[in-house]
Amino acid sequence: MLSSLLWPAGLLLEFALLARSVQTKTFTKYIYFYAYISCVFIVSVGLFIGHSRTEFYEAWYWPTQFATLAIGFGVVLEVVRQALAAYPGAERFAWRASCAVFVVTFCYVEWHVASRSEWSTVAATVELERDLRVIEALVLATVLAIVFYYHIEIGKNVTGMIVGFGAYVGVSLTTLALRSFLGPGFNAVWGDLQTASYFFALIVWTVALWSYSPNPAPPSTERGNGGYDALVRGTRAQLESVRSNLRGVAGS
Amino acid sequence: MIGLLLYLLVGAGLLVFLWLLARRKGAPVEGCGRQFVEARQALRTLQLGLLPENLIERIFDREDFRYVMAASPANIREFFLRERKRISLMWVRRVRCEIRNLMQFHLGYSRLHAKLSLLAEIRLALDFGLLLLACRALRILLYMRGPYGAGAVVGVLTAAAGRVCAASEKSLAFLNPPALESFRRDSAGDGATI
Repeated sequence: MLSSLLWPAGLLLEFALLARSVQTKTFTKYIYFYAYISCVFIVSVGLFIGHSRTEFYEAWYWPTQFATLAIGFGVVLEVVRQALAAYPGAERFAWRASCAVFVVTFCYVEWHVASRSEWSTVAATVELERDLRVIEALVLATVLAIVFYYHIEIGKNVTGMIVGFGAYVGVSLTTLALRSFLGPGFNAVWGDLQTASYFFALIVWTVALWSYSPNPAPPSTERGNGGYDALVRGTRAQLESVRSNLRGVAGS
Repeated sequence: MIGLLLYLLVGAGLLVFLWLLARRKGAPVEGCGRQFVEARQALRTLQLGLLPENLIERIFDREDFRYVMAASPANIREFFLRERKRISLMWVRRVRCEIRNLMQFHLGYSRLHAKLSLLAEIRLALDFGLLLLACRALRILLYMRGPYGAGAVVGVLTAAAGRVCAASEKSLAFLNPPALESFRRDSAGDGATI
């Protein structure tokens, strides 16, 4: 019930988001993010038009779901690219840590799948989505840890991207894990929660990306006279300290 | 069941991070020249004012304690312990403050450094974390057991602080004017210190 209400509303929001990105010329600035929104919009429109025909919907739901899931990694890439672009050190740290997280999680999931004795297509499909969400969640958490650790200031656009996508990934992961544990009885709640979390993400994105708000530029020691002046003042203070010490030695 | 808990933990952890991000106010602007000078001062204060071995021995030396306990009336002993506790707590507070200054500087500087080393950063983060934790533990121990009840933690703290100071010294080497360095070397022989 909830899903059938939020679906058309979500389509409208996606359209508004894309139209606004063209109007404010932010489409090219956040290319991976808007590529993801465009894909989801096209898939959602297609499924919405054909959802009355059960065969069509069932045949296309999972393939399109995986396509959007894979393109969803583009949002994570966009977050890393935008949030840390001005901080080469932190960016390098984030890429390496994210690669390590990806490799470790992927190996763990592969090992887990290989060691299973039973196999069912539906269960495997749900688990695959859950495991991909785990990787997205861990990479996002790593990037956020780096943002907090290095006190990196990020703008409204990128904060919105992270909060929206992170909330959707977090809720999806939690509900998919519960679905694997509780079984098909949880399906109705799972569907509603997933749709509601994506709708929440769309609201956050629409508000945060309504106008272009780039990340604040990092301070630089080379930029302006402030840095150099402070350095000169510090050196003078050191020299004064040396002078007073010498005066003390000479006077004794 | 353990798998479910792990997945729920990752999901909940991410949502907590997002909540923190949404609540975060503007991060402080760092990386300017003033910060380099402040970091240099913090390093000097640590190396010359707070971490020299003789100062630490002076504050935490048990000989003073034994002497006062053996040769003084009760009120003097109480006064001595109270004062020593106050001084040791003040020392920990100052060390913690200077370590935080150094950490702020390091983070502000290294995030802009393209040749940042992942291993070195993790090692330094652990050192900073250990130091701040040791400071906190030391404060609790000093409150609970008095100035002579935390010898081992003082040792850990000073060793880790020494490592951090050495790493920071390399980062801040460019702030040492070459002429002053040569002057410092020349003048050290006859006992005059700068």
